Amino acid sequence: MTSPNHDMIECPFEADVLDALASARWPDRVGAELSQHVATCQICQDVVAVSAAMQEDNDAALGEWNDANVPSSGQMWWRAEMRARQEAVRDASRPVTVAQGVAAGLTLGLAGAGGWFAWPTVQGFFAGLLPAASSSEPTVFASTMFLPVAVAMLALVVVAPVALYFVLSDN
Amino acid sequence: MFSRELTVSELERLEAVATAAVDALQMDEETFRAFYDRTARQVWAYLARITGDRTLADDLLQESYYRFLRADRAFASESHRRNYLFRIATNLAHDRHRRAKISTSVPLPEENAPGALADGTDLAADTERRTDLARAMATLRPRERQMLWLAYAQGSSHEEIAETLGLRKASIKILLFRARRRLASALGVRS
Repeated sequence: MTSPNHDMIECPFEADVLDALASARWPDRVGAELSQHVATCQICQDVVAVSAAMQEDNDAALGEWNDANVPSSGQMWWRAEMRARQEAVRDASRPVTVAQGVAAGLTLGLAGAGGWFAWPTVQGFFAGLLPAASSSEPTVFASTMFLPVAVAMLALVVVAPVALYFVLSDN
Repeated sequence: MFSRELTVSELERLEAVATAAVDALQMDEETFRAFYDRTARQVWAYLARITGDRTLADDLLQESYYRFLRADRAFASESHRRNYLFRIATNLAHDRHRRAKISTSVPLPEENAPGALADGTDLAADTERRTDLARAMATLRPRERQMLWLAYAQGSSHEEIAETLGLRKASIKILLFRARRRLASALGVRS
């Protein structure tokens, strides 16, 4: 009989031990040779302890199946079919939504760029509406209007994408 | 703002896409139902024990079968199909564990848990043994739990374990040895 070797990671009798456990022959209906080997082999003792405990727990877990909250095979199939259809439709619809989002983003970007370039003209236009203003003094109107208009434009830039997001996510 | 009605041709296209998605499922209904009835109990037991959460096992079981059905793969045998299903279940449990960190422990058996013996004499001993195992399993890493369960509860071969866990077959022997040794120590078999 094989002597125990602490450097071994497997034992040639492991399969016999597992077979005896699986067929419920362990420990009473196995040969004396196997029993004596297991008594001196740490690997086989581990196998016996772990395998017996796991098989017992497996039996218990299989018994818990009746109380599991899982659908029947028919329900499972039906749900899978429905979900596959929904996901396929959603995926197929996504390019349209993305294209709409890209178009909206480009529009906003163009509007922002236009506003940026047009801003000096607008500023000059409002400044020209002040007849009393001296050419040497900075235009008060322009200086006081700059901040509110800038804030309004900034708010538009921030709010517009958020609004866009909600509109598109509804789609 | 940007919403618009779908045209009839677009609706027809989406209907065709949906029908194609159902046609592309791994199996037809009859085959799936037979496969589910053969395997679901074992998959659930595996998920319940490696996650330590029966409710989570309920959810992961359904997700596992759905992903299995959507898999675009051909299987050479029932065994490969089954291993692939267990691999999906393992990956889902692993992802859930990484995201939520909820499964660092295995719950202890309840006194009147389903599956407990009806015989009052053996019930206490049975519960105690399962409690010991649950505590010991809780000391292991998820991968070790999975490996031990597959090897000793399900009787999977090293090749099947490697296929299920996505590991090299050559490494299973040593990994299984270490996991078994750790569990045996935790069970008090080793000094």
